[in-house]
Amino acid sequence: MTQIPVTVLTGYLGAGKTTLLNRILSEPHGKKYAVIVNEYGEEGIDGALVVGADEEVFEMNNGCICCTVRGDLIRVISGLMKRAANFDGILVETTGLADPGPVAQTFFADEEIAAKAKIDSIVTVVDAKHLPLRLKDSKEAEEQIAFADIILLNKADLVSADELAEIERAIRAINRYAKIIRTTKCQVPLDQILGLGSFDLNEILKREPDFLKTEEEHDHHDHEHHHGPGCGHDCGHDHHEHHDHGHHHANEIHDSEISSLSLVTEQALDGAKFEEWLGDLRANKGQDLLRYKGIIDIKGSDRRLVIQGVHMMMDGTNLGHWKEDEKRVSRLVFIGRHLDEKTLREGFARCAA
Amino acid sequence: MNSAVYRQWKFDAPIVSLCANRNGDWVAAALGDGTARLFPASDEAIEPKIIQLHDGVSLSLQPDADAHAFLSGGDDGKILIIDPAVGETVLLAEHKNQWIDHVAGSADGKYRAYNTGKKIHVLDEEGKAKYDAPLTSPSNPGALVFSPNGKRLAASHYNGVSLWWMNAKDKSATVLAWKGSHLDVIWSPDGKLLLTSMQDCALHGWQLSDSKEMRMQGYAAKIRSMGFTARAKYLATSGAEQVICWPFSGGGPWGKPPLTLGGTDNRLVTQVAPHPKDEMVAAGYDDGMIIMAPLDGRMEVMINPPSAIDKSPIKGLVWNAAGDTLFAATESGTLMLFTLDSVRKALVHTN
Repeated sequence: MTQIPVTVLTGYLGAGKTTLLNRILSEPHGKKYAVIVNEYGEEGIDGALVVGADEEVFEMNNGCICCTVRGDLIRVISGLMKRAANFDGILVETTGLADPGPVAQTFFADEEIAAKAKIDSIVTVVDAKHLPLRLKDSKEAEEQIAFADIILLNKADLVSADELAEIERAIRAINRYAKIIRTTKCQVPLDQILGLGSFDLNEILKREPDFLKTEEEHDHHDHEHHHGPGCGHDCGHDHHEHHDHGHHHANEIHDSEISSLSLVTEQALDGAKFEEWLGDLRANKGQDLLRYKGIIDIKGSDRRLVIQGVHMMMDGTNLGHWKEDEKRVSRLVFIGRHLDEKTLREGFARCAA
Repeated sequence: MNSAVYRQWKFDAPIVSLCANRNGDWVAAALGDGTARLFPASDEAIEPKIIQLHDGVSLSLQPDADAHAFLSGGDDGKILIIDPAVGETVLLAEHKNQWIDHVAGSADGKYRAYNTGKKIHVLDEEGKAKYDAPLTSPSNPGALVFSPNGKRLAASHYNGVSLWWMNAKDKSATVLAWKGSHLDVIWSPDGKLLLTSMQDCALHGWQLSDSKEMRMQGYAAKIRSMGFTARAKYLATSGAEQVICWPFSGGGPWGKPPLTLGGTDNRLVTQVAPHPKDEMVAAGYDDGMIIMAPLDGRMEVMINPPSAIDKSPIKGLVWNAAGDTLFAATESGTLMLFTLDSVRKALVHTN
């Protein structure tokens, strides 16, 4: 049975989510969408089935995994799936204060939902003019950026080119892997935000070259060597280029607890050691791991291990074979809070076979 | 072995629920296209009555307070009373732009209840609101179920169950607390025990007299179907490879292992239907297989092999009051009718 794709639209109030929703629904794509909003009665959402539901976050103990799910989404999506004439997609509009974590986890934690629906992408709409303020006064604004697959940097026409560049840097410091699209009135081709398969392991594998792209800047960098011990932010180097590397550098706009980190190695990993290391990490630091993805070369296996996770919930499988002449590189990227880069690099290195 | 099915009907839409009225002489199937099919609950069922229920789909189909009728709540905000003999519906209430997730009718014929979000509306025999304002649940209810004698209303929700006495004037609730998301509710036939199925694939229960609790874990999936067997000896439950029957005679299930029925074969029990009189349970699985299993340990009988009719899971399983006819609905839209006679004949052919 084909699973219906679910796109999550998040972002602060006023950033442009409703505009985006209306755009999606008013385009002549011939597709039928169901929209789940926090409060029915919003003006201007027509041509689609709209369901209003209060956000309900439920804690669930499922074996040894403690996780939170969105009870309202389980209830509403189950109800929508009862209809004989099904939908081409479901759009979930969350409030500005919503935590995207439980939303994503719902699609992995509830088997009945997982059988019928799959989360396609988290699209975060950001107000370019007000983001700096939002980042200062709201933890949720940071989180919504951290969880995003796509970030629409909206109202880009209301800020200068320099300001835009600064804002992008601030966003990158939090989430290095999301695609940022500058928009005005959320004008964006729909194929750039819908039907992306961002949580799909096959898609993650297909996009492998993109994993490489974010690494090119890193290939020749090893920060310990570059700066030497004790180097802080005022050691006279031009730190401008390092803002892309997701370290805890003070950003002019915002110093976030959240950062992005990537671990790369050309050494094959020992399957058992890697499983144990990652398992411990998820168990102990699960709350701080927001999203992670990886393509791993396990020694003795001809196939690539592709993984994807949100907090403690992880999805992983062996997909496709490494090509004969292909250089095998293992890559694991994290977006999380208080990421201890040193410990993570050391732990990852110890997984080498 | 071939299926022991006596008669079957294939519909153009999935079956979302199957239910018998309280008298046990009519059966209703709600379909994914918003219609319902009504059948007399006997081997005389030939052509169903077709009625339109909701613009979208029925979210909750239950026996009505009127022992003859059914109650349906839909995603179009309508609550309907269905008279199966006449084949017509009466609009009890309507809430535009709201979903009616749950409906319930009290067995004493006095009350009907339904929810709109966290608000629980209770209507009296004349269809008038019992209270000045709806009752409230701490979260969207997982279920709304009256006690067997109709005197109490239970609403499961996040972190517990709320109970209201129907003969009390005030709206204060007794809350049975247990952390987690509570879904379906079942009362024991004597009204002394209440159990819920939970999001984390477990059952939780309370003995109401002293609030003594019980917890049954280890299920592979959410328990979507449960029922007490004849004379309340066992509570039969779905959600595992076998039919798990908790012993309730002799003071309750504490410290006793469950009776497990049916083979273990990598399939999931999706529906259970205890026989109304005999000590036997019918069970349906996620691959369409249906069995009848005696409670005394004798071997079960397969009355519908897996994928015999269609490959979809058994979504509804219901006996008539006489206990001589069994209806089974598959998720993809086939309704099957078995009689004890058709089962006997099929077994003779096998042997």
